[in-house]
Amino acid sequence: MSEVRKPRDPVTGHIKALAKGFKYLIEPNRMTLDYPAETMKLPPNYRGFFTVDDVKCIGCSMCEMVCPPEAITMVPRIVGSGGKTLPAESAPQDQKAAKRTKRPVVNWGKCIFCYFCVDVCPVDAFRPTGVHDVAFYTDREYRPTYEEYLNPPEDPYKSSKKVVSKADKKRGVSYEPAP
Amino acid sequence: MMELIPLIIWLIQDLLYIVVFPGLVTILVLAIVIIWLERKIAAKVQMRFGPLWVSKRIGGALQSVADLLRFSFQEFIVPEKSDRWAFIVAPGLMFAFSMISLIFIPVGPYYSYLFPSYYTILFSVGMIIITPIFAILVGWSSDNKFSFIGALREAFLLISYEVPFLLSVASMIVLYRTFNYVDAVAYQFRGLPGLVLNPLAALTLLIVMIRTTGRFPFDITEADSELVMGLFTEYSALFFGIGMATPYVELYAFSLIFSLLFLGGWWPAPLYAHGPIMGLIIPGIVVVVKAFIVMALLVFLRAVYPRYRLDQAIRSGWSYVLLLSVLSVLLSFGEVMLLR
Ligand code: SF4
Ligand code: SF4
Repeated sequence: MSEVRKPRDPVTGHIKALAKGFKYLIEPNRMTLDYPAETMKLPPNYRGFFTVDDVKCIGCSMCEMVCPPEAITMVPRIVGSGGKTLPAESAPQDQKAAKRTKRPVVNWGKCIFCYFCVDVCPVDAFRPTGVHDVAFYTDREYRPTYEEYLNPPEDPYKSSKKVVSKADKKRGVSYEPAP
Repeated sequence: MMELIPLIIWLIQDLLYIVVFPGLVTILVLAIVIIWLERKIAAKVQMRFGPLWVSKRIGGALQSVADLLRFSFQEFIVPEKSDRWAFIVAPGLMFAFSMISLIFIPVGPYYSYLFPSYYTILFSVGMIIITPIFAILVGWSSDNKFSFIGALREAFLLISYEVPFLLSVASMIVLYRTFNYVDAVAYQFRGLPGLVLNPLAALTLLIVMIRTTGRFPFDITEADSELVMGLFTEYSALFFGIGMATPYVELYAFSLIFSLLFLGGWWPAPLYAHGPIMGLIIPGIVVVVKAFIVMALLVFLRAVYPRYRLDQAIRSGWSYVLLLSVLSVLLSFGEVMLLR
């Protein structure tokens, strides 16, 4: 025999809930930001879009190996003057003369911003850009070429009011203009 | 022939009153306002901003207008395997029947000269009861599992909440001893409003209102976290807009019924008056304001309640709500016996 359920009090719970809702209606305690007009100023290493330093990178492919969703592709490059790399197609006819190397490119559609690649890189070649919210309008924009990847997306909300969050005993969280 | 002209002018005038006042224009404005209000209230209680981007100065009030415009210009897609005709016609009929019920709801004494009928309560209630049947048709014709589950849920709830609805209205009919809104209002003018006379019936009708119009906690047929959009998953463009607007029209109709049966109708305005101004416009505004307050209370529930499970809703329909409605009928009988 199944256990007999005690009937719940059908009245007080409803009244309590309605009273609480009404209290919040007359004394709203807003916690969200007026988003595109105000944006959070985030700490400098907050995980967002990042780019690679073409000169620093040694092409070891550690980042490609560690990336959990396999968002990184290593593209073939050749070393040019001053440590900068050139596209592999521009290699001189004399194949021996070209010093071959590889450079990482991130597919933003796959990247989960875990920053494993940044941590694993032996020469600290990755550099966070401080840009976090970007909307891509076409599928193509998700998959930059290496040259595009060197210039990561710009912050679309540069002109919005920057705020920082602060713990507040009474309200939970409050915002004040960023210093 | 010449005698006919004033008659025609009179007819057009009266039709205009009906179209403008309790009818289409008021509904459009009210639906836009109430949708905005619903989102805004829910946002306030849930610590958010709510709609704000369109017309920021006035708190995003034009958001619903923008949505309406967007719906009107979108492409309407009929799914290949849907039952084409039912798919196209059903939402329209659903909307139409909820509108037709408004014709039988007099918002002023003058109105009942335009549509003289003794059985207005029965007609309006009957028309409102028909709408969920088209909701089921909508879900069935879409050939989509979400719509279909939504339709099944609608059917279950329809059966469980129709009896309490009719009983609560019946208890008021017993109490007022009339099938006519104007007489019901007259009864309340002579004594107390129906809310005081029979609070049980009022409570039942409120619960049934919430259920039929799919407000929280009974938005089980729509249940966007489980059923995408419920019945209207496959719809797009204006038809989706109609599907979204129909519950609000029903809400309006129900609130009008509620304010006529329980809140004393057009109470501070005079009971009988001739002419469109004193007989229709002023009492109408009073009734619509009362109905609007009821609507605002009901949309406020969205901010507070989570959703009932289907079985919980059905269980409470067949237990508490049915019990309440039966008690309300008994209460009415008792009062009639005592007052006689
Ligand atoms: S942040 Fe994580 S997911 Fe993104 S590219 Fe680096 S390792 Fe891959
Ligand atoms: S970015 Fe760092 S880890 Fe990746 S290939 Fe270059 S040096 Fe290696």
